[in-house]
Amino acid sequence: MKNARIWFKKDLECRYISHLDLNRCMLRALHKSKLPVWHTEGFNPHPFATFPLPLSLGFRGINECMDVKLEADNYSFEEIISKLNACLPKGIQVFDVTEPSMKAGKIAFAKFSIKLSCDKINSSTIAEKLSEFLSLEKIEFEKKSKKGIKTVDINQGIKTFQIEEKFDFVTLNVVLSAGSSDNVNPNLIVSAFENYLQLPVYADITRIDLYNSDMELFR
Amino acid sequence: MVSKEVEKLLLKVQKPGRYVGGELNEVIKDKNSVDVRFAFCFPDTYEVGMSHLGMKILYSQFNNEDYIWCERVFAPWIDMEKEMIENNIPLYALESGDPVSEFDFIGFTLQYELSYTNMLNMLKLSGVPIKSCDRHDLKQIVVAGGPCACNPEPIAEFVDLFFIGEGEEVDLEVIDLFRKCRKEGKSKTEFLQLCSQIEGVYVPSFYEVSYNEDDTIKSFTPKNNAPSVVHKRLIKDMNSSFYPDNFVVPLIEIVHDRAVQEIFRGCIRGCRFCQAGFIYRPVREKSPETINAQCKALCENTGYDEVSLSSLSSSDYSQIVLLLEKLNEWSKDEKVSISLPSLRVDGFTDEIMDKIKTVRKSGLTFAPEAGSQRMRDVINKNVLEKELLATCETAFNGGWTTVKLYFMIGLPTETMEDVEAIVKLGQAVVDTYYKCPNRTKGRSVKVTVSASSFVPKPFTPFQWEPQDTIEQLHEKQSHIKECITTKKIQFNYHDADTSFLEAVFARGDRKLCKVMELACERGFHFDGWNDCFSLEKWLELFDECGIDPAFYANRRRSFDEILPWDHIDYGVNKSYLINECKRAYENTTTPHCRLKCNNCGAAKYGEGVCFEKRKNMV
Ligand code: SF4
Repeated sequence: MKNARIWFKKDLECRYISHLDLNRCMLRALHKSKLPVWHTEGFNPHPFATFPLPLSLGFRGINECMDVKLEADNYSFEEIISKLNACLPKGIQVFDVTEPSMKAGKIAFAKFSIKLSCDKINSSTIAEKLSEFLSLEKIEFEKKSKKGIKTVDINQGIKTFQIEEKFDFVTLNVVLSAGSSDNVNPNLIVSAFENYLQLPVYADITRIDLYNSDMELFR
Repeated sequence: MVSKEVEKLLLKVQKPGRYVGGELNEVIKDKNSVDVRFAFCFPDTYEVGMSHLGMKILYSQFNNEDYIWCERVFAPWIDMEKEMIENNIPLYALESGDPVSEFDFIGFTLQYELSYTNMLNMLKLSGVPIKSCDRHDLKQIVVAGGPCACNPEPIAEFVDLFFIGEGEEVDLEVIDLFRKCRKEGKSKTEFLQLCSQIEGVYVPSFYEVSYNEDDTIKSFTPKNNAPSVVHKRLIKDMNSSFYPDNFVVPLIEIVHDRAVQEIFRGCIRGCRFCQAGFIYRPVREKSPETINAQCKALCENTGYDEVSLSSLSSSDYSQIVLLLEKLNEWSKDEKVSISLPSLRVDGFTDEIMDKIKTVRKSGLTFAPEAGSQRMRDVINKNVLEKELLATCETAFNGGWTTVKLYFMIGLPTETMEDVEAIVKLGQAVVDTYYKCPNRTKGRSVKVTVSASSFVPKPFTPFQWEPQDTIEQLHEKQSHIKECITTKKIQFNYHDADTSFLEAVFARGDRKLCKVMELACERGFHFDGWNDCFSLEKWLELFDECGIDPAFYANRRRSFDEILPWDHIDYGVNKSYLINECKRAYENTTTPHCRLKCNNCGAAKYGEGVCFEKRKNMV
């Protein structure tokens, strides 16, 4: 059996589906493609796939991945790509298949590109306020979880950032703690920024890449 | 396709995947290279609408024609509706993202009466005038079909034309006619006039209704050369009729997320409360070969690993065992499971159970509909208690531990004794479980008893019957609750308030149009959902319009009264329905179509079960 890491983008309409929906969509595509993917055993066998780091509803992702086990060797990676793409909606398209070189648990950082815009203020004001906001010593935000409300300092989770001012929006490129332990969801930054501005902003968020703790590209 | 404006709203609402399209197998065309654009509207949420088979069939069939682009539209949930209104975004179709108001046809499928307000609300959200007489041009033609079209009168003022009966043929004839009329520069009235000559098309504006002093109907007069009786359309050969080899596969979870294969239309049984059992007569089957091939194609093209065989009563398919054998030949290797819903109590044999072993053991559902044998005879549900118990025994010994039983309360002639019998039957099922030697050890049984309130429907033998009042229904519900003494029986019941409104709309006449109009003005929507429904508000509306809803729901009609739907013909003679109603009051059952033809009238179509050779004929 061969491990394969399937790389895809999640974009267009598919950016609005949850991780659970994505999972179902992928399983169906694997089933439809008839690729020799290892299936779970039991009463309702289905293709087995895991996702190193799920992507939240609403985000685009340009380097997303899913791990499967291939039961046969007689398929080239190109063939897998084209077979899967024929079974997927246009918002989810596979572009590469690799042999995984890092374990999912190694993921420590994720890079996002966040396009911010606001009806009420222009982009130079957004950029200005954003850099003010990000240079605060602490960015406290109340995070609601099952255990209740706790205050977190988001700033701790921001590794690097860079602001680009465009004509009608501002792009914030940011590397955030990611993975199972200290995950910072970029939505938190957006909400905290909205609080800071006291204005609603529209954020179009794309996950660009994943990294390990040495900032090596997750592959 | 999602516009920039809509994009900004999507992250503020629940389940934005409902509003974006972009699914596998969605049909995208170039709008400049098609002649007719059809907005297929389902007046409920995406998850409900996308589960509906009729929509899948027509979507595929329309898009199969190069000159038509059919797109899907669903009712936005209240959070999205609010955002759309606040941001001035009109209702749009999922495929192109274009406003519904730009379409040539705006078509609704009407599956339940409580979706009427959603239909009007969707027109309103589209910025399209809701009344037919306010839409003057040959565009935005509002059409409607589905089972509720059998009594179109409560919404007659809003819909330009109704499709009566099965849509596969007549819809395309109308769309084609539209294309011709537009080329020739004809007016909307000219177009509708030509439509009204097509069998299966009802143009309500071509009929005038007059009323008696007592508010019953005096006469129905056609004008513009429209026929005095509109006959339903029906597909004669199910094997050659269109069936999609492809479904749009939703990105988000929907109510029924699987491939669906229709196996036959109609029902042989003739349960007296069941509208579907009469309006889809006669039974017409697909051959096992056709079903097998269609199932296979569907699974291959969608990637679904479950296919559900759809019909009103799947175990009545005449070659069910042979069919399951055929399906089993490939389904196991393809890791596809077959499910067989709508099983009758007497249809769940060992043989069938063996063949559907691949189905998840989530629970079994049966519909005895009534608790006592007398009551079941009245409604012509030819099921015996011992058959039900034997079936449960088979299931329990086969590993099932939960059973759902569906009943109705408020049936004609029902007494409190009949109501109690519902609980007794539930208890008998519990007892059966503990008598089964091969039951799952260490698990207790769960029997869910579900009681809905009877709603008298047009084209059934009970179309003249009064519905129980809400108070009577409540009394019966609480009586059932009191009678249940074990935790092994769980009791569910439907809200009597919604059943009452359903009964008003189901047998309403044109006078209700003004109530509907006002409801739309006041922003009524999603009446089928507890989140939105308020009987109190409806009663206020009726009151304002000077209409007594009890006139429609709770009044006994006489056999010689002109009913609002009498100018529509579904193939079953009124005299047959009258006779069936009388037999009900005599506690007399009527054998089903395969045992004996009872000359209901549907043989005039020259097809189906009416012409089968009967085995036990003397
Ligand atoms: S004509 Fe006879 S066989 Fe045909 S549907 Fe009616 S009762 Fe059944």
